[in-house]
Amino acid sequence: MAFARAKRSVLPGFGLSLGFTLAYLSLIVLIPLSAAFIKTAGMSWAEFLEAVASPRVVASYKLSFGISLCAALINAFFGFILSWVLVRYTFPGQRLVDALVDLPFALPTAVAGIALSAIYARNGWVGTWLDPIWAKGVQELSSIVPWVDWPSWLGTKLAFDRPGIFIALTFIGLPFVVRTVQPVLAELEPDLEEAAATLGANRWQTMTKVILPELLPALITGFALAFARALGEYGSVVFIAGNQPLHSEITPLLIMTKLEQYDYRGATAIASVMLVTSFVLLLLINLLQKWSRRYYRV
Amino acid sequence: MSIVANNIRKTFGAYTALDGVDLNVPRGKLVALLGPSGSGKTTLLRVIAGLEYADPGSGRIQFHGEDVTDVPAGKRKVGFVFQYYALFRHMTVFENIAFGLRVKGRKERPSKSGIADRVRQLLKLVQLESHGSRYPNQLSGGQRQRIALARALAVEPKVLLLDEPFGALDAKVRKELRRWLRQFHDKINLTTVFVTHDQEEALEIADEVVIMNQAKVEQVGTPQQVYDRPASPFVYQFLGNVNVLRVQALAEAGALARGAAAMEANGQVYVRPHDIEVIPHVPGAMGITAIVRYIHTAGPAARLTLEQVKTRETVEVETSRVTLANLDLKVGDLVNLRMRQGHSFDGDYTI
Repeated sequence: MAFARAKRSVLPGFGLSLGFTLAYLSLIVLIPLSAAFIKTAGMSWAEFLEAVASPRVVASYKLSFGISLCAALINAFFGFILSWVLVRYTFPGQRLVDALVDLPFALPTAVAGIALSAIYARNGWVGTWLDPIWAKGVQELSSIVPWVDWPSWLGTKLAFDRPGIFIALTFIGLPFVVRTVQPVLAELEPDLEEAAATLGANRWQTMTKVILPELLPALITGFALAFARALGEYGSVVFIAGNQPLHSEITPLLIMTKLEQYDYRGATAIASVMLVTSFVLLLLINLLQKWSRRYYRV
Repeated sequence: MSIVANNIRKTFGAYTALDGVDLNVPRGKLVALLGPSGSGKTTLLRVIAGLEYADPGSGRIQFHGEDVTDVPAGKRKVGFVFQYYALFRHMTVFENIAFGLRVKGRKERPSKSGIADRVRQLLKLVQLESHGSRYPNQLSGGQRQRIALARALAVEPKVLLLDEPFGALDAKVRKELRRWLRQFHDKINLTTVFVTHDQEEALEIADEVVIMNQAKVEQVGTPQQVYDRPASPFVYQFLGNVNVLRVQALAEAGALARGAAAMEANGQVYVRPHDIEVIPHVPGAMGITAIVRYIHTAGPAARLTLEQVKTRETVEVETSRVTLANLDLKVGDLVNLRMRQGHSFDGDYTI
C-alpha cells in the first residue's frame, strides 16, 4: 500500500522522506546493531554456545527479562493511576508533580542508582524501616510456603539484592507509561463516561468496561517502552543490584564484564541473544497492540 | 411520563446558563428545545438527565409527579443520546446496545438469551438488523445515531433526551433522519425532548417548541403558534428570515393593509419575506418604492433583494417563480412593495 501511495499522492516527498528515513535508520540503528551480529559471526558454534548458554549467562537472562517484565507491569499500573490523577484532578503542586515524572528521563542513571541504593540500604532513610519489613516478610513467606526458595527469588534485603534491581527499573520506566497514557486520557471524551452513567453503569463498571479499554493501546505502548528501557538499563542497576553471579547479575552487566576482559566476541554474542529476544518480544507486544486497536480499522 | 421543571437555575462560575427556567413536557409528546448556541438549551437537557445538577436552592425536577432532583443520572431512567453519539468504539454495535443491560445488578439483569433478544429487537426497530457485529467506526453518521438511540432505549427509559441529534450529520441525512425520528416517536410513544438550534427541524417534527435565549425561555407553543404569533422580536427573528421596517415609511407609502392604527408611528414592523407583495411600479401608487438589487432564482422560490428608494434600507422578498416571471423584472428596475401582514412589538426599538 505504501508504494501504491507513492505513485500519485497529494502528500509530496514520499521518495525523499522514505530514503532519508532509511539512510538515517541505517546509520543510527541498523549498522551499529548489525556490527554486533557480524562480530558474533566470527565465532564457532561451540564458542557461541559456551558464551551465550553458560549457567551464569542464562541466569542473567532470566533475571533481566523477569524483573524488567515485573517492573514494566507495576509501571503500567501505577503509571495509569498517576496519569489519572494528573489529568482528572486539579490540586496544588500539580505542575510540580507533572514535572517530577520526567525526572527519571533526565537524571544520569548512575546518579539514580547511587541515590536509590543510599535511600533503600539498611541504614538509608527508607531502608531503615522498610528493609526489616521486607526481610521479615520473605522469612514468613518461607515458613508458610516452604517448598519455594523465597530468599533466592525475592532476596533478603532491598538494596544490593534483587528488590534493588526492581526498584531501579521501576524508577527509570515510570515516565514512559505516564507520558503515553496522559495525552490519551486527556483526550477521552467525557461523553463516554456520561453515556455509561445514563445507562446505569456504576463507576467501577465505567472504569473497567469503558475507560480502560479505550486506554489499552496507550497502556500497552507505555508498557512496551518501559519494558524495553528496563531490559537495556545498566547504569542505575549496577549500583543497587549487589551483582552476585547467578543471583543478581543482569545481562547488560555481563556484557560489560566481558568487554572489560577484552572478550569482544563473547560480549557481542550475548548482546545478539538479547537483541533477538527483545526484538521478538517487542514484536509480540506490537501484535498485541494491533489487536487492542482492532476497532480503529474501518 | 411527564417532565416538570420549575425555576431551574444553573451557573458555571460567573456565567449563568439557566436563569429560572420552567419546563413542562406532557406525557408522550415530542418537544424541541430551540435556541441559538449559548442559550442554555443543552444545559437544561443535561439537568433533566441528571448529568448536571441545578444550583442548590433552585427549583425541582419531577418525572410524572415524582421528584428526581437529587436522583443520579443512572437511576433516573432516562435515555440520553449525545450529539456525537458517544458510542463505545471498542465494542461492536451489539455490545454497545447490550451495555445498559449487562451492567444491571444480578437480580434485574436479563439472561444471556434475553439480552440477545432485546438487542435484536432494538436493531430491528432502528432498521439496522444486519449491523450487530460491526464496530461503530464502520458505520455512517446516521447509522451511528440510530445505534446510539437503540442503546439508550435498551434500558427501557421513561424519558428520551436527545442532544442535537442531527447536528453532526449532512443536510440530506438530517432531513431523512428527522422524519424518521418523528415516525419513530409516534411508534414508541415515549416522552421525548430534543435540543436543536435548527428552527426548521424543530418546527417540522416537534409537537411543542420551547424557544430559549440567554438562559431564559422566550416562548412555548406548537410550531404553528410560535411561527405565527412570535412572543418577542427575538423569536420572530430566530424563526426564519424577517424584514424590520419602519412604521413611518410604511404609513407614508400607504403600504399597510390593515392594523396600522395600532402601531406606533416610530415603531418597527416585522414582516416575513413571503408576506411582501411585489407589484409593478406606478408613480403615486400605494406601496414602498424600491429598486431591485439582486434576483436569486436557484431554489423552490425566488428571492429578491431590494433597496427602498427613500430610506436606502434593504428588503428581502420571497415570491413564487411564476409571479416573478410574470413581473419580468431585471436588476435596477423599480417596483412597489406591499405588505400582506406584519407584526409589531410596541416599544421595541433595539433592532
